[in-house]
Amino acid sequence: MQAMTKRKAPSDKLAALSACMTRIANDRDKSAFAELFDHYAPQIRAYSLARDPGADLVADDLVQEVMTRVWLKASKYNSNLANLNTWIFTLARNCRIDYLRRNSRYVTEIDPTDIFNDMEDEGPGPFQMAQQGRAEESIRAGLEELPREQAEILTKVYLEGKSHQQTSEELKLPLGTVKSRVRLALKKLEVLVVR
Amino acid sequence: MDKATNHPYDELLAAYSAGSLPLSQALCVSAHLENCKSCGQKLQRLNRVGSQLMQQLKPARASEQLKNRLLDSLDALTDEAAEHEPTKVDPSVPRCLHQFIDSNYNDLAWKRVSADIHSVELCRDSNGAKVELLKIKPGGSATTHTHLGDEYTVILEGSFSDEGGLYRQGDFMVRTDNDQHTPVATQDRECICLAVTEGPIQFTGLVSRLLNPFIRRGYA
Ligand SMILES: [Zn+2]
Repeated sequence: MQAMTKRKAPSDKLAALSACMTRIANDRDKSAFAELFDHYAPQIRAYSLARDPGADLVADDLVQEVMTRVWLKASKYNSNLANLNTWIFTLARNCRIDYLRRNSRYVTEIDPTDIFNDMEDEGPGPFQMAQQGRAEESIRAGLEELPREQAEILTKVYLEGKSHQQTSEELKLPLGTVKSRVRLALKKLEVLVVR
Repeated sequence: MDKATNHPYDELLAAYSAGSLPLSQALCVSAHLENCKSCGQKLQRLNRVGSQLMQQLKPARASEQLKNRLLDSLDALTDEAAEHEPTKVDPSVPRCLHQFIDSNYNDLAWKRVSADIHSVELCRDSNGAKVELLKIKPGGSATTHTHLGDEYTVILEGSFSDEGGLYRQGDFMVRTDNDQHTPVATQDRECICLAVTEGPIQFTGLVSRLLNPFIRRGYA
């Protein structure tokens, strides 16, 4: 995990960013948009470059797509229902899926819009929201303690966007090993426990 | 409405959350999620893992030029997605399938596969996987064919049973090619399933579009 640095995003920072969303929704406030850009654009570019190293134009395109949706969807965003960081991640993921579909060598007839869009608009609900702050912290701490080979697999799947099959080919591991490492990592992070 | 008792396995849900799942499989997961609150909650947490991983990446500086270009574009933006007409699709059809179905399951061009089964192909994925709906008559056998890859199934209406038990609306199953199950629709009503069958990789969407003029007309 050399590519990763420890960078805390304290909850007051998140609260300030969430307030920017409100300012955009209510007042179409461009300085609020600029503040969100300053925080999230470098993250979104890093996410894009994790999959396509060196592809700066692709990374810029992704920023443009995601931040455009942020501007347009700000009024639908509800900070009481969804964590802004997670919301931005799902936007970036959805925009990347869209981009890959449009630029793939292989044709797919499936439009991803209605597959993934639900999560952009609907949050986890008030009950989970109460536990969300704690969940964020425990996932962050858990990731830092994850055995290297499990963290590597999560990086492949989440950041590089590799399928289990591709991951198994790249790391020269049996498919079953890839799947069981994902499972073990998720178990360690306790994300699958339904409380 | 948490009817489902068979769920996508965890690493499949994680791949869905990561956006690294083939879209045909993502369709099945999405159809299941509409019927399953507990998987929806898992997904929220999985998305948080993705979010944390993204935040831990070393930030890659964005240029002022990009920022200014975006700021200049804001006033002219309109939300095309928001301007779509309200859907005319039957509410029982999962939202992820609205792109293939104009009104309801009955109006589709079902083709007879066997005495018990009708099917309609919805599309092909880029990996060659075939996405189709299967309609099995009450009490009918749902065994269609032998195939090479895995088969992903979600029950959209009705139910069926096999040696492993009863499968109801929303249930999600993966069958591998060496499974010997012989599913049978229950007697009370017909059963409609979404089925994704993996195919050979060289079978691209272009070929299936040529083979399926109906689908092409259906949603072009
Ligand atoms: Zn489920």
